[in-house]
Amino acid sequence: MKPAIATAGTATGTASGDLGQVLAQRERRFAAALLAPAFLALLATTTFPLIFLVWTSAFRMDLAMPFADGFVGVENYRALLSDDRFWSSLLVSLVYTGATVALQVALGLALALLVMDMKRGQDWFRVVAILPVVLSPAVVGMIWRTFMLAPEFGIVDYLAINAGIGSKNWLGDPLLAMISVIVIHTWQWTPFAFMVLLASLASLPEDIYEAARLDRATTWQRFRRITLPLLRPAIVMVVIMRTMVALTAFAAIFTVTGGGPGTATEILNLYAYRKSFTELSIGYGSALAVALLIVTLLISGVLFALRRAK
Amino acid sequence: MTAKRLRLIATMIITLVFLLAWVFPIVWSVLNSLKTDQDVLAYPPKLIFQPTLEAYRDVLFGSGSILPSLISSFVISIGTTIITMLMAVPAAYALARLRFRGKKFAGFYVLATQMLPPVGIIIPYFLILRNIGWIDTYQGIILIYLSFSLPFAIWLLVSYFEDIPFEMEEAAYLDGASRMRTLWRIIIPQVRGGISVTIVFVFLNAWNEFLFAVVLSGNTVRPVTVAMFNFVSVEQTLWAKLAAVSVLAMLPVVFLGVIAQKNIVKGLTVGAVKGGGRR
Repeated sequence: MKPAIATAGTATGTASGDLGQVLAQRERRFAAALLAPAFLALLATTTFPLIFLVWTSAFRMDLAMPFADGFVGVENYRALLSDDRFWSSLLVSLVYTGATVALQVALGLALALLVMDMKRGQDWFRVVAILPVVLSPAVVGMIWRTFMLAPEFGIVDYLAINAGIGSKNWLGDPLLAMISVIVIHTWQWTPFAFMVLLASLASLPEDIYEAARLDRATTWQRFRRITLPLLRPAIVMVVIMRTMVALTAFAAIFTVTGGGPGTATEILNLYAYRKSFTELSIGYGSALAVALLIVTLLISGVLFALRRAK
Repeated sequence: MTAKRLRLIATMIITLVFLLAWVFPIVWSVLNSLKTDQDVLAYPPKLIFQPTLEAYRDVLFGSGSILPSLISSFVISIGTTIITMLMAVPAAYALARLRFRGKKFAGFYVLATQMLPPVGIIIPYFLILRNIGWIDTYQGIILIYLSFSLPFAIWLLVSYFEDIPFEMEEAAYLDGASRMRTLWRIIIPQVRGGISVTIVFVFLNAWNEFLFAVVLSGNTVRPVTVAMFNFVSVEQTLWAKLAAVSVLAMLPVVFLGVIAQKNIVKGLTVGAVKGGGRR
C-alpha cells in the first residue's frame, strides 16, 4: 500500500506538497466511501420524505374520496389558519411541552441535588432511574391508563378515594386528562433529567465549594452563585432535548387518551396523525405536519439562542 | 446537630417517595400479571395473593398468542440495529477523524435530520410504501427506523471515536497499514465499549418505537407495542393478560438497561452534550 508514497517521495522540489496533496485526496475519497451509505440512507428516509411532504401539503388528497384530489396550492395552509382545532392543538402542545419540561428539570435537579449529598444509596437511584427511561412510551401509557388511573380500579383512584377526594374520571375530564398526560410524561422522563444533571453535578470542581465554605456562604448562596451557573449548560441542553421530544410526543398520549376527551389532550403532533390516518385527509395532514416542523424550528431557534446568550 | 438530623430524615423521605413513585407502576404491573382475573379485580387491591403464571401461559400459547408479535419486535429491532451499525460506524469514524471538505456541513446535516417531526416523515412514507406494496413488511418498517436510529447512532459514536488518541492511527500508517485495515484492526477495537452502548440504545429505540409501527404494521408484521391493544377494548379489558403482555414488552429493554446501566448513564450524558438521544 506504499507505492503512492514512494513515487511522491522521489519527486523533487514540491515533494512534500505533492505527498500532502495525494494523501489529502486519498483521505477525502476514503471519507466519501465511508459516509456514502449512511448519507444515502438519511437522504432517502428524511430529506426525500420532507420534500414529498411539502409537495403533498399543496394538494387536496383524501384517501376516502380520491376523485376529489387535486392541486390546491396554499389552500391547505389558508384553511389551517382559520381552523380552531389547529390553534387549540397548538395551545395544547405548548402547555404540554412547557409543563412537562419545567417539571422534569425542576424535579430532576432537586432530586439530583438531594442524591448528590447522600453518602450511601446513590447506586440505587442510578439503577431505578434507568427503568422508566428504557420503557416504551406506549407500554407506559397502557400501564397508567389501566392499572394506575382506571376509575375504581387503578391505584391512583384507590388512593384518591381513601384520601377523601373520591373516585375521579381521570381520563374523561378535560382538565384531569391534561394533568394526567403531563404527569405520565413527567414520570417517565424526569429520571433522564435527573441522571444527566447528577452526572454534571458529580463533575463540578470540589475546590470552589471548599472556598465557598471558608467564606461561610449559605447553602442557598452556594446553590444560587456556584452550582446553578456551572450547571447552566447541562440544564439548557436537557431543556432543548426534552422540548424536542415533548413537541413530538405521541405514543403515551395516543394510548392513554387518544387526544380526548374531545380534543382536550390533542397535541399538534397527534392532530396531524389523526387528520392523516384516521380522517384520511393526507393533504391537510401534511400541511399540519409542516406547521409542526415550523413550530419546532422556531422553538429550537429560541432555545439555541438562549444557549449561546450568557 | 438536630437540625442536621432533621434534614437527613427529610432528604431520606423525599428521595424514598421518588424511588417508590418510579418503581411502583412497574412492580404493580408485574404483580398483576401474576394474578388470576379475580385477584386483579379484587377491591381493595390485593398485595398478597397466590401467584400464578396462568396469564403468561394464555398470552403466549393460548388463542390470539402474542408470540408472533414478540418475534416481530425482535426481528425489527435486531434488523434495525445491524443495518444502523453497519452504516453508522464508518460514517462516525469519517466525521470524527478524517479531513474533508464539507465536514461541518455533513455533521450539521446529521443533527438537522433529527429536527424533523416523525409524523412529517410517516405521512409521505406511508404513501410511498403503499405504492410499492411495502406496508406490513419488515423491510418497510426497518427502512424508516433508520431515519431516527442513524443520526442518533452516528452522533453517539462520533463522541467515542473522538476519544481515541491520534497517535494510534499514525503509528499504524507508518507501519504501512492501509486506511481500511487501520480502521478495522486498530480503531474499532478501541471503541468496542462505545459500539456496545450504541447497539443497546439503537435496539431500545427500535423496540420502543410506536408511531411508525402503528401506521405500517398489519397482520403479518405487528410489534408487541401495537399488538397489546388487542387486550383492551370498549367491551372489556383482559387485565391479567394485558399486564402479562406489558411485562413481556418491558422485559428485554429493562434487562438491557440494567446490565448496561453504567454505560447507559454515560451514553445519555454524551448524547446530551452532542445533541443526540430521542424519544
